[in-house]
Amino acid sequence: MIQLAYPAALLALLAIPLLLALHLLRPRRRRVVLSTTTLWQAAQQDRESAHGFRRLLGNLSLLLLLASALALGVALAGPQWLTRASEDADTVLVLDVSASMKTRSGIGTTRFDQALAEAAGIVDGLPREGRMLVMTSGRKALLRTGFEADRDALRRALAQLRPGDEAGRPAEALALALSLLRGRSHGRITFLTDGAFDPDVDPGSPQVAFRVVGGPARNVAITRFDFRQELASEDRFQVLVTVRNYTDAPVTVPASVSLDERVLFRRTLELAARGEQTLVLPFPGRALGQAVARIDVDDDLAADNQAFAAVSPRHPVRVLLFSRGNFYLESVLEALPDVDLVKRDGSPDEDITRLARSHDVVVFDGIAAPQLPPGNFLLVNTVAPGLPFSDAGRVAQPSILVSGRSALMRDVDLTAVRVDQARRVVIDGPVTGLQRLIWSPESDLALALLDGGLKLVYLGFDIAESNFPLQAAFPLFVSQSLEWLRPRGDDRLSNHIAAGSTHSIQVPATAMQVTVRTPSGSSETLEVKGGSLLFDATADAGIYRYTVGDVARHFAVNLTNARESDVNNRWAPGERREERRPASDGAQALVPLWPYLLVLALVLLALEWCVWAGSRSSA
Amino acid sequence: MAMKPLNAPAAGNAFVFDDEFLRKLERLELLARKIFRGLLRGEHTTARRGRGLEFSDFRHYRPGDDFRHIDWNIYSRLDQLFLKLHASEEDVTLHLIVDASASMGFGEPSKFDHARRLAAALAYIALNNLDRVGVSTFAEGLGASVPPIKARHHMARLLAFLRDLPCAGVTRFGTALRDFATRTRSAGLVILISDLLGAEAAQDGIEALSHCGHDVVVIHLLAESEIDPPLDGSLRMVDAETGDELEVTVDRELRRLYQHRLERQLQEIESFCRRRAVEYLRASTAIGFEDVVLKYLRQGAHLR
Repeated sequence: MIQLAYPAALLALLAIPLLLALHLLRPRRRRVVLSTTTLWQAAQQDRESAHGFRRLLGNLSLLLLLASALALGVALAGPQWLTRASEDADTVLVLDVSASMKTRSGIGTTRFDQALAEAAGIVDGLPREGRMLVMTSGRKALLRTGFEADRDALRRALAQLRPGDEAGRPAEALALALSLLRGRSHGRITFLTDGAFDPDVDPGSPQVAFRVVGGPARNVAITRFDFRQELASEDRFQVLVTVRNYTDAPVTVPASVSLDERVLFRRTLELAARGEQTLVLPFPGRALGQAVARIDVDDDLAADNQAFAAVSPRHPVRVLLFSRGNFYLESVLEALPDVDLVKRDGSPDEDITRLARSHDVVVFDGIAAPQLPPGNFLLVNTVAPGLPFSDAGRVAQPSILVSGRSALMRDVDLTAVRVDQARRVVIDGPVTGLQRLIWSPESDLALALLDGGLKLVYLGFDIAESNFPLQAAFPLFVSQSLEWLRPRGDDRLSNHIAAGSTHSIQVPATAMQVTVRTPSGSSETLEVKGGSLLFDATADAGIYRYTVGDVARHFAVNLTNARESDVNNRWAPGERREERRPASDGAQALVPLWPYLLVLALVLLALEWCVWAGSRSSA
Repeated sequence: MAMKPLNAPAAGNAFVFDDEFLRKLERLELLARKIFRGLLRGEHTTARRGRGLEFSDFRHYRPGDDFRHIDWNIYSRLDQLFLKLHASEEDVTLHLIVDASASMGFGEPSKFDHARRLAAALAYIALNNLDRVGVSTFAEGLGASVPPIKARHHMARLLAFLRDLPCAGVTRFGTALRDFATRTRSAGLVILISDLLGAEAAQDGIEALSHCGHDVVVIHLLAESEIDPPLDGSLRMVDAETGDELEVTVDRELRRLYQHRLERQLQEIESFCRRRAVEYLRASTAIGFEDVVLKYLRQGAHLR
């Protein structure tokens, strides 16, 4: 069976008419006058009757050209020969470690245990020359070994695996596995899974064999959990909880929400078969601490019977503004929510390093700035010494041509902005971490710099000498600059992420280390630069605590995924796979045919050249 | 193979009978006399043998011969059947029929030039042996002709006639030779000089001549380029007589098949002639005309 990797490339076969046209333009047959053609005609008939194809071979050159074009066209389409994988082929073993694999299956075992047993059997059954690569499929696809022929090493790698609380993304894992086998003539992928994912996961590759473990299961799950502040009230909050029944029978589920061990609510939910219920419950008082929602039910998947939230107070952004008076800038900073603005009229007379530590953002508006220490700074119409760009005069009425694609410039429309005069800055060579935000042909007008602990946004003109403050773009630019300088992701009321995803931990720019404690109690100290850290070891649901110096903060990791909790809605691989590969009970290999076709095309072209040269010399 | 435009007259008419040719013709006449002397007993009277009064020769009896001419004396002595042959006393007329179709214009020298020289040489020898000689040409039909003449001084007229002949048209043997046979009053010796290529099979024409009581000799002329054609590659062949075109890629195998076809055709014609007691002589233009004449004379089948 032959498949085409790029069927659209068959359009290259349209070159065949071109070849025909070129052939027609070749020198015509030589004309000779003979005493008679009767004998030649008879001889030709003798030849044709003796060999049916001889007449076609009379135009061998054209046939060779057409065959060559055909081979090239088909080669471009990427034909692949589907064959049984050889016994010594490399195997990629993909193990599903998503939360649904924790589902009980039998007495004292889970689906993951069954998958591990199957994996061990596959390792034991590897042929002598066979190699295997082990990877896991959770929210992320992770390689656990390289292509390994050592059975013991493979068993050790399998023994270290366990399922997480994350919702699986098997499509990504299979795509990675296929990419690992790209270029290998033989190779197969075995995906050990419970099949609790969407049917469009199947990449349709004959190299992939699904082995589904586990049986029917019973599950009730918390699928949403969140806190929010009531509108126009700083003292009243709401908690949202959604519980869903995945069984085919109605269930009664006791549910509770507690905050720092203090029970906020207890309810008994009557859930219809495959039904769900959402509770929005108000409660007075400040919502601070670690919240947990629980349902008390004996089902087959316990991971989704609880959900977590780290409810933190909101921290305002402390902004220190050095300015001789700027109505527009001050108005915007005062208008932005959760911004504590402190204004100074002149140049800083205190240690700038201490000021940078004690404020989230320091703004210099038209006032000469000193050499900047690590910290977050917004420079308006001024340039500080020691930066990778320097002041080089003035530009009158620069035309703003382009604005960059930075997150700072998202939705900032500068079309109507006019500037009377701007500073001309010169960038000292290529600088890492410097992005251009706004520029004109004469000079850069706005820049963003990330250099170690220093984060800086530079606006190169006096906003009072432009119509920028009168545009909607101005408050947007200031707001997004502050958000970039001092991200406030952790300041949401309920700070939680999906299990397995990456959490951005924001710390002061001067912080060098962060210690993270996971729900299991293990701690890890990580290096941090630039005031942020991406933390991705979040496979387990629960409350994570991180400390910077003496300050501790929390974030929560949850499963709360309705699709992952639906442990019975499982993909049935058998039917579709059988339709496509009726004779297959194992993985198959795709052998790319294009190299052979390319060689064939070259050989045909060489033959055609020989024929052409021969006919030319004989002529 | 020499290429000539379609239906072009044979080139070099002025040099067909040049001084060299005439010198060869005289030498040929001397050689012919010696042959005649050796074979006969002087100038022959006729080439036809049969029921005349004057005894001519013996030959073995063949089934179908008239019993009345068996020499029983010889039979009683040798116990073998011999037939007594007698020379006819009537005058013998030599009819030279020259193919003047377009296909004769090929070869180096052209078959047509060769045919004209052969005809001239045979006529010269015949006139010197006091025979009557007539010359006719044909292509699509019977063409120009010189009626039988006997006097030697007419040789110049014959040469002028042959020299000015054109060479064009399609060959239709049956039409042309049947026409000749019906127009000729006296039976005689007919020498047909042709390449036997044409729109109609040559056999029809030869049979028509034979049926009218003529002793027929066929001199089959072939150009060397027709026997071993120097052709190769992709060609559009044009038939000089019909103008038909044939696209063909000539290679070694096709040349082999062509030669096979040619050989088969030659054998068919030769076999046909043998069956009808027609003498068949094959000649290439690469062989000088005088050699062809001497070969013909040495065979002596039509000499007494």
